[in-house]
Amino acid sequence: MIDRIAALGRGTLDVLMAIGRAGLFLVQSVFCLPSREGFYLWVRQMHFVGVMSVAIVLVSGLFIGMVLALQGYTILVGFGADEALGQMVALSLVRELAPVVAALLFAGRAGSALTAEIGLMKATEQLTSMEMIGVDPLRRIVAPRLWAGFVSLPILTVIFAVVGIWGGHLVGVDWLGVYDGSYWSNMQDSVDFVGDVLNGMVKSLVFGLVVTWIAVFQGYDLVPTSEGISRATTRTVVYASLAVLGLDFVLTALMFGDFG
Amino acid sequence: MKRNSVLELGVGLFMLAGILGLVFLGLRVSGLGVGVPQNTFTLTANFANIGGLRPQAKVTMSGVRIGKVTDIELDPKWFDAKVTMQIDSQFDGKLSDDTTAAILTAGLLGEQYVGLTVGGSPKMLHDGDVIHDTQQALVLEQLIQQFVSNMAK
Amino acid sequence: MNDPMMVEVKDLHFARGSTEVFRGVDLQIPLGKITAIMGPSGTGKTTLLKLIGGQLTPDRGQVLIGGQDVHKLPRRALFKLRRRMGMLFQSGALFSDLDVFENVAFPLRVHTELPNAMIRDIVLMKLQAVGLRGARHLMPSELSGGMARRVALARAVALDPDLVLYDEPFVGQDPISMGVLVQLIKKVNQALGLTAIVVSHDIKETLSIADYVYIIADGKVMSHGTPRTLDVDEDAHTRQFVHGEPDGPVPFHYPAPDFYDDILAPAGQFS
Repeated sequence: MIDRIAALGRGTLDVLMAIGRAGLFLVQSVFCLPSREGFYLWVRQMHFVGVMSVAIVLVSGLFIGMVLALQGYTILVGFGADEALGQMVALSLVRELAPVVAALLFAGRAGSALTAEIGLMKATEQLTSMEMIGVDPLRRIVAPRLWAGFVSLPILTVIFAVVGIWGGHLVGVDWLGVYDGSYWSNMQDSVDFVGDVLNGMVKSLVFGLVVTWIAVFQGYDLVPTSEGISRATTRTVVYASLAVLGLDFVLTALMFGDFG
Repeated sequence: MKRNSVLELGVGLFMLAGILGLVFLGLRVSGLGVGVPQNTFTLTANFANIGGLRPQAKVTMSGVRIGKVTDIELDPKWFDAKVTMQIDSQFDGKLSDDTTAAILTAGLLGEQYVGLTVGGSPKMLHDGDVIHDTQQALVLEQLIQQFVSNMAK
Repeated sequence: MNDPMMVEVKDLHFARGSTEVFRGVDLQIPLGKITAIMGPSGTGKTTLLKLIGGQLTPDRGQVLIGGQDVHKLPRRALFKLRRRMGMLFQSGALFSDLDVFENVAFPLRVHTELPNAMIRDIVLMKLQAVGLRGARHLMPSELSGGMARRVALARAVALDPDLVLYDEPFVGQDPISMGVLVQLIKKVNQALGLTAIVVSHDIKETLSIADYVYIIADGKVMSHGTPRTLDVDEDAHTRQFVHGEPDGPVPFHYPAPDFYDDILAPAGQFS
């Protein structure tokens, strides 16, 4: 019994310590002074983190928009409200699906790659050797990746939403025969730029921060063996996905709910 | 550090795509700037009760969209709702000054919007004019109350 | 032994979890010489280098480099001190996203304001010294283990440091690249007049280049001396290690019950 309580206490302490390390890590890395060299490192990471994720975001956005239109049409047509298809597709994408699904894809595509890359650098002593050369790896390796992640996810979310709305148009208007004018005008009547589009952007900013933070920290903090890398990569995807879904509820409640 | 221009170009295009996408979401999806100022004129109308009318709601005539509601506020003088609408400028000076404005509901449960019906007066409405003949929104509770009190008599 | 001491380790204690890695280690590394630190695997030789490089903090004791206590320095001063140190890692630890040339140029680019042309000259000089000038456009993944270590050596000395730490430079090398590395370390050391610390358990190669040798076991310095004196040392531990005898004070067998009893244990009593 006492053993169990002790184990519980130790577990709690371990978790608290990990959170503390992660927090210190974030603060130390994010506030690194940018330099010209740093800017170029950031551009490089934008390529690996952002540009390389565009393809998967394009494809998923297109299909999600198409399936939304298909599902929405069959429901709405029952109420004779198929004119409202544009509104339904746009609102669900902009408020909810684009930030969340893009963040989940981002965690799987870019997050796991970040963890594995930094983990491999740690396992092959590249981080240590950089420290011995007198360069802070937080600044050189971690900071550009963090910033690239923060900036990339909102852009990917925008791309996701635009492609999704276009996919919804393709299915709804071109295939199912919803009137083109009402697809757009219903959308414009109901979507509010500040309340919906910008709130969706705020969500994706938060998700970008959290997912990249988890990914980079898991890579930096892992046990430097091949087993450690594979475990940390799995942890990145699991933790980041859970964090995105949990935060999504909290943010939605704050933005659209009537709490407090 | 060696530079890679293909990579830089890719990142540049990526960021540009993000900005263009946001512009698209702003203009095309949320309808910001859809009525560019010179293409519309403004009318106001006072309603006793606007029900669930919201800004951005459409303004129609014979069911065809001709403008949108831009602002709703309480008129402190009469304590009724003052609704500001932007109407497509091709109708500037073509609507008679006895045009009526009614708050209607799309379908049984749909959104509320403003419907205009022209009258027969020779005088026309211009930018900034007020529509005097208005019909308030139907509020279900009031209708039921009226019905119940009529039954009781 | 009247040379000025470049590195001094005094009464070093370090524990990892409940395992005591060092229990009072004292070392004096003379200036401009190659000092070898040897010992069986798992005695924490790499840990010792990390303590000297200031990446780990000891529980007790000091590491002095040029009179400065490494572990009392603020972070900025520590990074400044590290610019005067080069370290060759066991795996080479080349940056996998940079090619050979950029790897060697890396310390120069981050620590100096030299123009590109001068950096190029220095890098080519260093690569020429390790015989890999022709491989400058290769990526680290295209190099063999021995070549990677030679590039890492070029990188470690790119800034002409005062002190170079070698972590197991000979491990896992074929005889040819081993010979090349032995020659290189000796040549580089003589040419640049560096102080070098070589951590290794390859006895023959290490003894052939070291000026002075420390042997560490059980968290303490077991014996020390010049290669010549160690070779004829009568101490049982030293003899076993230097001559590679399979059994001795360090037993061949992991602690176990008597072999005879174990084999003939009655059925049902197997553990």
